[in-house]
Amino acid sequence: MISNNKFFIENPYGRWVRDNLFSSSSSAFLTFFAGFMVIYSYRGIVGFILNPERMWTSVTYNMKLYMILAYPDEAMIRVWLSVGLALILGGLSIGFYNSGKSISLGGIFQKLFTISAVIALLIALAPTNTNVIQNDGSIEAVEIIPQDVRMLILGPSLVLTLAFFFLRNIKIKNLFNTAKVNLTYFGLIIGSLYFIKIPTISLDSSGERIIPDPFLPIASTTYIPWTILYVGMLLFFFIGSLLKNKDVKIMSRLIPIAWFLCPLFIFSWIFKKPLVELNTVFSADIPSILVFGIIGFLIIRFSDNESIGVYRTPINIGFFILSVVVFLLPLVFIFKATMVLLLLLLVVSPAIATTKEGKRQLFIVWVVSLFVLTFLIRGASSDTMLVTPTGSIFGGFSLTWLLAIFGTYASFPLGLALALGRTSTLPVIRIICTGIIEIVRSVPYITWLFFASVMLTVFLPAGVEFNLIIRVLILTAFFSGAYFAEYIRGGLQSIPKGQYEAANAIGMNPFQRIFLVIVPQALRTIIPTLVGSVITSFKDSSLVAIIGLFDILRIGTSVIPAQSQPVVFIGRNLEQLVFLSFFFWVFTFVFSRRSMKFEKRLGLGER
Amino acid sequence: MSIIKTVDVKKWFGDFQALKGISMEVAEGEVLVICGPSGSGKSTFIRCINRLEQHQEGEIVVDGIELTNDLKNIEAIRSEVGMVFQSFNLFPHLTVMQNITLAPIWVRKKSRSESEEKAMELLERVGIPEQAQKFPGQLSGGQQQRVAIARALAMEPKIMLFDEPTSALDPEMIKEVLDAMKELAESGMTMIVVTHEMGFAKEVADRVMLFDEGLMVEENTPNEFFDNPKNDRTKLFLSQIL
Ligand SMILES: Nc1ncnc2c1ncn2[C@@H]1O[C@H](COP(=O)(O)OP(=O)(O)OP(=O)(O)O)[C@@H](O)[C@H]1O
Ligand SMILES: [Mg+2]
Repeated sequence: MISNNKFFIENPYGRWVRDNLFSSSSSAFLTFFAGFMVIYSYRGIVGFILNPERMWTSVTYNMKLYMILAYPDEAMIRVWLSVGLALILGGLSIGFYNSGKSISLGGIFQKLFTISAVIALLIALAPTNTNVIQNDGSIEAVEIIPQDVRMLILGPSLVLTLAFFFLRNIKIKNLFNTAKVNLTYFGLIIGSLYFIKIPTISLDSSGERIIPDPFLPIASTTYIPWTILYVGMLLFFFIGSLLKNKDVKIMSRLIPIAWFLCPLFIFSWIFKKPLVELNTVFSADIPSILVFGIIGFLIIRFSDNESIGVYRTPINIGFFILSVVVFLLPLVFIFKATMVLLLLLLVVSPAIATTKEGKRQLFIVWVVSLFVLTFLIRGASSDTMLVTPTGSIFGGFSLTWLLAIFGTYASFPLGLALALGRTSTLPVIRIICTGIIEIVRSVPYITWLFFASVMLTVFLPAGVEFNLIIRVLILTAFFSGAYFAEYIRGGLQSIPKGQYEAANAIGMNPFQRIFLVIVPQALRTIIPTLVGSVITSFKDSSLVAIIGLFDILRIGTSVIPAQSQPVVFIGRNLEQLVFLSFFFWVFTFVFSRRSMKFEKRLGLGER
Repeated sequence: MSIIKTVDVKKWFGDFQALKGISMEVAEGEVLVICGPSGSGKSTFIRCINRLEQHQEGEIVVDGIELTNDLKNIEAIRSEVGMVFQSFNLFPHLTVMQNITLAPIWVRKKSRSESEEKAMELLERVGIPEQAQKFPGQLSGGQQQRVAIARALAMEPKIMLFDEPTSALDPEMIKEVLDAMKELAESGMTMIVVTHEMGFAKEVADRVMLFDEGLMVEENTPNEFFDNPKNDRTKLFLSQIL
């Protein structure tokens, strides 16, 4: 009967409903059943959230705690700078890589219609009452959404829905650039910070909590920085568009490099104390870079020298012994770490530095890695860090984020190196890489975390004291690096032999073959897996709570529910859990949606 | 003056001897066709010439450079010798244009604009200038193989090796690839072609060779090879294939 009705044949919505929801009697049953379940759980959730038992001010009041724990107020500017750097780079990239995709006014209204229709439906379906357990154990229904309030919200949203429904068909030729539309939405969100009021907690002059909790505007220390950052982002969006129109080619190299360096800058801003220490820069860093730069240059320069040929093995052994000695001597840590890097250079240079160009590239890579290594070590040892050795003043969302981003960031090149090393033809490298991968993967992450918190110091040379956060970062890099390595190795193995042969046949050296032909293809095939593991490492970062770091989950489950000063939040667990699940969901959802688009764009080249 | 010279080249895969002593010479500008039954070592032999395989005994001299284990020699020779494979082996993650310009830019260190100009010329030469911005996966087999030819030519090689360039193609696409190869032969390129396209051999080759079980059993002009072969093995082979 439903299939014969005119509405279900002619109207596109009707047809969709018929084809997808009521195509047969069993699917009709499933539709009703699933619909009932969804509505039932939705009403349950709303009832839970609006239950007068809940105390959502325990979330809003502690927002700063959630974001950065007890990071010093006077250093807050660094946090804003970090967010700002990311936003500005984001704006620049959106402007520069703007695909020019556009949406018509009708399309915009179509989306708005969907959103407002869903909102209207949600309001209409929300329950009026919810059950509250009374002191004597009895259950009583309490009104949570009075009829007049429901009407007050439902009315306008229905009007909007109707309006958007008709505006949908508007025939205006004007097209709007999707990037600009999205930036406008973001701007509206920022703008709303000026108007919205959130429930919060106020104390009166005697320190007593004002009851009921008032709704107050958002603090100016929140919306003013955001406004500035947004304006900066817009500005850089337009700069990016301008550069794109002017066809400034160099930007397509500079932007990825900037993104590559961005976490390093953020890292130093967030942690370093003081920001620059000229003293050590001149007494240790510059000399170290100079000395190792020159040694590296000589190694690269003479790596293919004929007359050295016979002496190569003794030289390698000599270097190995030398680096062991350096490691045992009481020297600056930077020297020791760089020595390891030097050994690596010694091993790889005969394979890469076969041509003049190869030598030049290898030398550039060498100098850059020297700088990065020095920079990282400088920012990482405990006595040069802003935070306490146990990291206890830094935490919350920033820590979660730092672990996820930096973990991925550092583990990716590490994983690539391990994967390439494991497939290398040089036995020593292959055995070392295989060993690292297998050992790291065969022990659970939690065990490694304990290792990082108590044991790592034992293994580090004397005099090197790494902050707990840094130790965890190093460990996470290795842990996800080992997993990445295996994914990447899978990708490498999926590349047919013909690709290697074709690269060889056009005269590429091994370095070019790997990085221009093999690795790009290998990475492409494993993007879905990589995205999955980044999401996993984002969520797994909450495990650091076990060794005493305060990630966002620990703040929500043990810090806030134990607060009694200045306001009592004792036992307020449920609110935090709901908030945290929503929070994690938003981030992972956005991330996986983005990466799906990314995959689609890259998938173009696939067979 | 011969541009390729091999002396008693032998090659083993483990215990199995794939080449049992091949001696031959190719003059500059010559087109040599190699045919023979499956497993006779044709591919192995031409892959030894640009050292995709290593021979264990004997001597191979290409353009005056002897092939040894020295990496420098190998890379020098590979940029002098272009190779076209049976399965195209284009780089699927790069556009046709990027496929062709990759080696000139990175190996020959030419500028991008110069390489792209040259690539367009080559694409015109093989008849598919309009496909420059597509990815290999979006092309037909015949078009892909012509891109592969253009990619090899972009290095401006002195010698081109073809390993059964048409045997992975549908019949209607074979001609377009053979035409491109014919044009190349007429322009004076030195070519070694492993193929079962006897029409091509008759028309284009200066010399035809027959391989069997790792040995070169016949070497002849095309006319003699097809009409009046010296070796019984050749007669048998021709009777099977024609
Ligand atoms: N990588 C390898 N490992 C072991 N044996 C090999 C390898 N490559 C080739 N062979 C063997 O060497 C012999 C010659 O192989 P080749 O590929 O040169 O033959 P072909 O004449 O090109 O044959 P086809 O016409 O089928 O391509 C075959 O018996 C093959 O099994
Ligand atoms: Mg073959």
